[in-house]
Amino acid sequence: MSTCSVSKGCFVFKPSPKKRKLSQKTANYFGERNNASEDTDLRFVTCQSLWNQIKSETEQIQEDLNKQLFDNLVSFLRRSHSEFQEKTTKWTCRMKSREIPTAALVLGVNVTDHDLTFRSLSEVLQNNITPYIALLEAKDCPGIKNLIQKLMGQLMNCYIDVDSLEDEDHVQVSQNRIRCSMTSIISWYQNVTKKTDSETRSKKRTSSSRHWQSPPVVVIFKDMESFTTKVLQDFIVISSQHIRELPLVLIFGIATSPMIIHSLLPHSVSSLLCIELFQSLSCKEHLSTIIDKLLLTAQFPFKLGEKVLQVLINIFLYHDFSVQNFIKGFQLCIVEHFYSQPLSVLCCPLVDAKKRVNSLSRDQCENIRRLPSFRRYVENQVSEKQILLLTADNFLKEITQKLLEDLHVYHENYVSVLRCLHVFTSSLPKYPLGKQIRELHCACLENQVWQTEEYESFLQLARMLNKSDLVTMLEQCVEIFVSSSGKEFDKIVEKLKEFLTQFQELEVAEAFQERDGSVSAQKELQKKTDLYHLQKTLLELKESRRSRKLTKFEMLRFEVVEYIDSLVRAHLVPADHKTLHEIVYFNTASVLRGHLNAAPRVALHTSLNNPYCYLKNQALKNDGGNISNKAPDICIVYKLHLECGRLINLVDWLEAFSTVVTAVEGPNADATSSDQRLDFVAGVLAAWKELNCRILNQHQQKQRHYSSHIFQWNYCQKSDLKVS
Amino acid sequence: MSQPGRRHRGALEVKFVPDEEVLKHIAEDSGIKVRKDKTQLTVTLKTFVKKLEDISDDGAQEILEEKNYVAALGICAQGSMGNGSSVSGGEVYSFQTPRHSSKMVELASELAQTPGQMVAAGHSEHPEKTAKTPQSSTWKCNLILLFAWQRAVLRKCMFLLMHVFSLLLQSKKKEFVSTTPYRLRKRLAAPDPDLESESEYSASCSEEDEEDQKEGSAGLSGQKTPGKTKAASVSPLTSTLAKKVKEDKMSNLVEEYFEAHSSSKVLTSDRTLQKLQKRRLNQQTLHDLLKKAPLAYAAEIKELNQQHESLFSKWMLHLHWGFNIVLYGLGSKRDLLEKFRTSVLQDSVHLVVNGYFPSITVRSILNSITEEVLDHTGTFHSPLDHLEFIVKRFKEDSSLELYVLIHNLDSQMLRGEKSQQILAQLSSLPNIYLIASIDHINAPLMWDQAKLSLYNWLWYETTTFSPYAEETSYENSFLVQQSGSLALSSLTHVLRSLTPNARGIFRLLARYQLEYKDNPSYPGLSFQDFYQQCREAFLVNSDLTLRAQLTEFRDHKLIRTKRGGDGVEYLLIPVDDSTLTDFLEKEDEDV
Repeated sequence: MSTCSVSKGCFVFKPSPKKRKLSQKTANYFGERNNASEDTDLRFVTCQSLWNQIKSETEQIQEDLNKQLFDNLVSFLRRSHSEFQEKTTKWTCRMKSREIPTAALVLGVNVTDHDLTFRSLSEVLQNNITPYIALLEAKDCPGIKNLIQKLMGQLMNCYIDVDSLEDEDHVQVSQNRIRCSMTSIISWYQNVTKKTDSETRSKKRTSSSRHWQSPPVVVIFKDMESFTTKVLQDFIVISSQHIRELPLVLIFGIATSPMIIHSLLPHSVSSLLCIELFQSLSCKEHLSTIIDKLLLTAQFPFKLGEKVLQVLINIFLYHDFSVQNFIKGFQLCIVEHFYSQPLSVLCCPLVDAKKRVNSLSRDQCENIRRLPSFRRYVENQVSEKQILLLTADNFLKEITQKLLEDLHVYHENYVSVLRCLHVFTSSLPKYPLGKQIRELHCACLENQVWQTEEYESFLQLARMLNKSDLVTMLEQCVEIFVSSSGKEFDKIVEKLKEFLTQFQELEVAEAFQERDGSVSAQKELQKKTDLYHLQKTLLELKESRRSRKLTKFEMLRFEVVEYIDSLVRAHLVPADHKTLHEIVYFNTASVLRGHLNAAPRVALHTSLNNPYCYLKNQALKNDGGNISNKAPDICIVYKLHLECGRLINLVDWLEAFSTVVTAVEGPNADATSSDQRLDFVAGVLAAWKELNCRILNQHQQKQRHYSSHIFQWNYCQKSDLKVS
Repeated sequence: MSQPGRRHRGALEVKFVPDEEVLKHIAEDSGIKVRKDKTQLTVTLKTFVKKLEDISDDGAQEILEEKNYVAALGICAQGSMGNGSSVSGGEVYSFQTPRHSSKMVELASELAQTPGQMVAAGHSEHPEKTAKTPQSSTWKCNLILLFAWQRAVLRKCMFLLMHVFSLLLQSKKKEFVSTTPYRLRKRLAAPDPDLESESEYSASCSEEDEEDQKEGSAGLSGQKTPGKTKAASVSPLTSTLAKKVKEDKMSNLVEEYFEAHSSSKVLTSDRTLQKLQKRRLNQQTLHDLLKKAPLAYAAEIKELNQQHESLFSKWMLHLHWGFNIVLYGLGSKRDLLEKFRTSVLQDSVHLVVNGYFPSITVRSILNSITEEVLDHTGTFHSPLDHLEFIVKRFKEDSSLELYVLIHNLDSQMLRGEKSQQILAQLSSLPNIYLIASIDHINAPLMWDQAKLSLYNWLWYETTTFSPYAEETSYENSFLVQQSGSLALSSLTHVLRSLTPNARGIFRLLARYQLEYKDNPSYPGLSFQDFYQQCREAFLVNSDLTLRAQLTEFRDHKLIRTKRGGDGVEYLLIPVDDSTLTDFLEKEDEDV
């Protein structure tokens, strides 16, 4: 069946039920070039399990980060209608003023992430406060009627979910839905609460312990800014009329600033709201937590290369601020890595990896030998070992196991030392190596960090730190090393502690010195001074300062900095200097960029201006900017099109094109037969149509210009009149 | 020069700028132009150079930073397809420069004069050429003066600047008129010689003119002078690092922008298609011709396509990991998607949507999902309800899987905000897999962040260079004769079923309309006149019978009535004149 038709635009294809495989395994698509077939399944499984781990981890992080916010919100909701529960007089006074308790939730501009936040929020509320939650979006509510309809639908559906109503009630509910108004919501609410009341009395249901007898109705406006002002106003005014019967709470999701409420709603309406402000965590902090937990940890075997990380961070910072998209990019990296790297089988926890090494096939061993980092490693070995490595599979496997372990240890150490270095760099003025740990991480991954100028300036600045700062930093470092799981850190911790005690001793000694110093200074003050002597003493002081011996503190500080430097040099070696790093590092940034941050306009531009990029024909080759007359028609037409102003004269344009095309055939262009001429006109037409209809959207005006000419032409032919 | 001025905003500072300095400045700016001038530059003012260096340092720094950012985005890393990422943004997003239409002819002749070879760009040669002629050098001096002024004078004294500007222009105008060739002068005399035309033509040397005419072969018989545009002579200036020049570039850009967009009157060529002694093709011949014409670079295109086809399994993988795929790049992607469909999707339920189909709607897409995929009969109030139903069904039944292929997601009918929202929501379902193609150069603008996150796109570049044959088959071209034959046949068909009197009435109206076809404001034949004429021809006897006949015509959409300003009813046949003439000829044969 073809998909071309003049009467239809949609075509559905259903395979016969016999042929239909119900669950075609995704793993089938994993094997790319049919090599190493036994490993593809394993690779797929590893990939999937890794992703699931990471996914649950990110969700966990998200939850933890939102916990504070949600706790505040929950307590606010509890507070807001406690009077309603107790039916005190206080409530009645409040009622008179008809204020709706409202939470303004400032979420930030990363709109994409809000969905997740709201989902978890409604979950939390459902568990803690009330089953009656409605999530409203602006696109569903163009008018007040739709809003109420949507609201009723959500409230009553959730009610059915919670209590599993019988069929008759359901019918009744759907009837209610037809005449949707606030009153029907209220009657529904009274009905429901009465029912639960009686139920709780008779059955003592478990759910009643979670919710109160008359739980509030929470209405969440996901994107407050995009709601029509009128709809919001109407809704607020209407519901404030009914607040005594219906304990309503509003939650506004705000992307910009809380001022928007006042600019959207007039005073008369906003005075009906009792607004409390809640601020969610900024997306940048969210991102750094994610990077901290996902990348700067030895927990996950998979790592991102420097360029890839840079691309992801840049997309975040320059395009959307969306953590969700960052994670999506991370997911793509994982898939891409496991898909393209056959050795990614070994990208799993160390214990499994060692086992898997033993069962590697011959081809896979060859793959290992082909890795550039492994080649470098081999070249540095003695010749007998080289031969063994290149020939004996078993020996290779042994060595691979060892190397993998090395790599693992390297990661563990790397993270701790990196954090330690970050403690130092983040408190220095001007942040020579970046304020965030991710910047430091990128710098370390990129090349040997101790060779950079920034590192030099860091050392210089560190040598000028004062004592109290230095001590607190050292203490932080000790903490980091103690809490990390690395094995080699005992020595480091000891050394650092030694430094700390030395500093303390110094303090005591200094206290003594100071007393002496102050006495002598006083003595000097008592002396009479004259200009000559003053000058002399000052000069002496200057001399002495130049050749002065370092104080004890300075020596110690120097030592500390030296030690930190040695740590950095030992442990922060860039990953691509490590053997077998290809197995765990994903480094092809161009693929990632092409998929996530594509530039269709650039692609079009290139293909039209420089077709040689795509069509590898020598005739099309040129040195830039210009196209030859052998280029595809559409390229020539585009070039000519660029040369025109806003209006294109069809005749000029046609002739220009003919000049270009016919020039190939020779100078006697007028001798071309009419057949060829027709041919080329057809070609031009097709090219023009494509350019016009598909790629560029032309102005109506331009078309009129065309059409008027055609009209004239036509007319002249028919009537033999000359029109100029 | 500008530095001190900028520092003390309030104070106006006007300095004398010696010629050497100005020349030197220009020399620093443009590498190409100077070669000639350099000999004159014997004196260099140290302070000036120093300052300039400072400034250029600054500029360099900025550019370096920019580069860092670009590099960080991974632009330097070349893609496997070489997706032209080395193109700078300025090249891709440029203003439309005001150009004269014969510029195109010129370019064409340039392209043509070296068959089979690369052709040097028109621009790069111009500065040298223009430098030879005395007229253009005076023009250059004016330019230089202008630059000096622009730099020295602050925003506050913009008024003054404007004044000088206009003075300059006036002086230039005189000189310009006196040096233009006759033909140009003739053309300029007629329309308004306003600012736009000023910058449009700088004096061009006539010898080059003749050369061009010789080269532009017989096809270019009535060619106009290829005016050297100002843009062409200025553009090489702008390719330097210095900050100052950046500013100039900025102002140049601004000028160019306004030149391109401000003038309401646009010079158009008055040549008509009459001069091409060729009949318009009809749809069928065009189709045949296109079919016959061999596809250029078929081998290379095939290779390209094979590269794309090798990625099919990867597409499937990504689809199953929750991403949706969007294809972009020059050339029709229909064949590629068709191949994907037939080779991979044979055993699964899938929906193909031809977005380029002129009457496609979101509703029809949703309908085909509910009716044919879900086997549900029933109607929905709104697309939102419809969507909700589909979402619910797909969420309930996780064994349901649907692949949706949309050719041209950016077509006229689907690009609306609401349609895109619905499609995005549809595609966000975990068991609906969407593969779409886009062609329009601004297509990505239809998606905001929210939609993008729903779509969860992975972009694939698939430049195919294959012709958009199927996609454009619904579009009309002005150069192709519209399918008049269809209208004609339906006209005769309808009329044949009517009474001779009715046919006579129609013929009368048609004749009358053809008589007035020269009159563009012809409103139609008024009912009263028509009735009068029909009576005289013994076709009707009362206006009631005429009205009855007219109703019949109107039902078949043969005539259209509209009320004039005075309330009189006017009758019109909504068929183009040539068809009408053909019809009358045929009728006359029959009678």
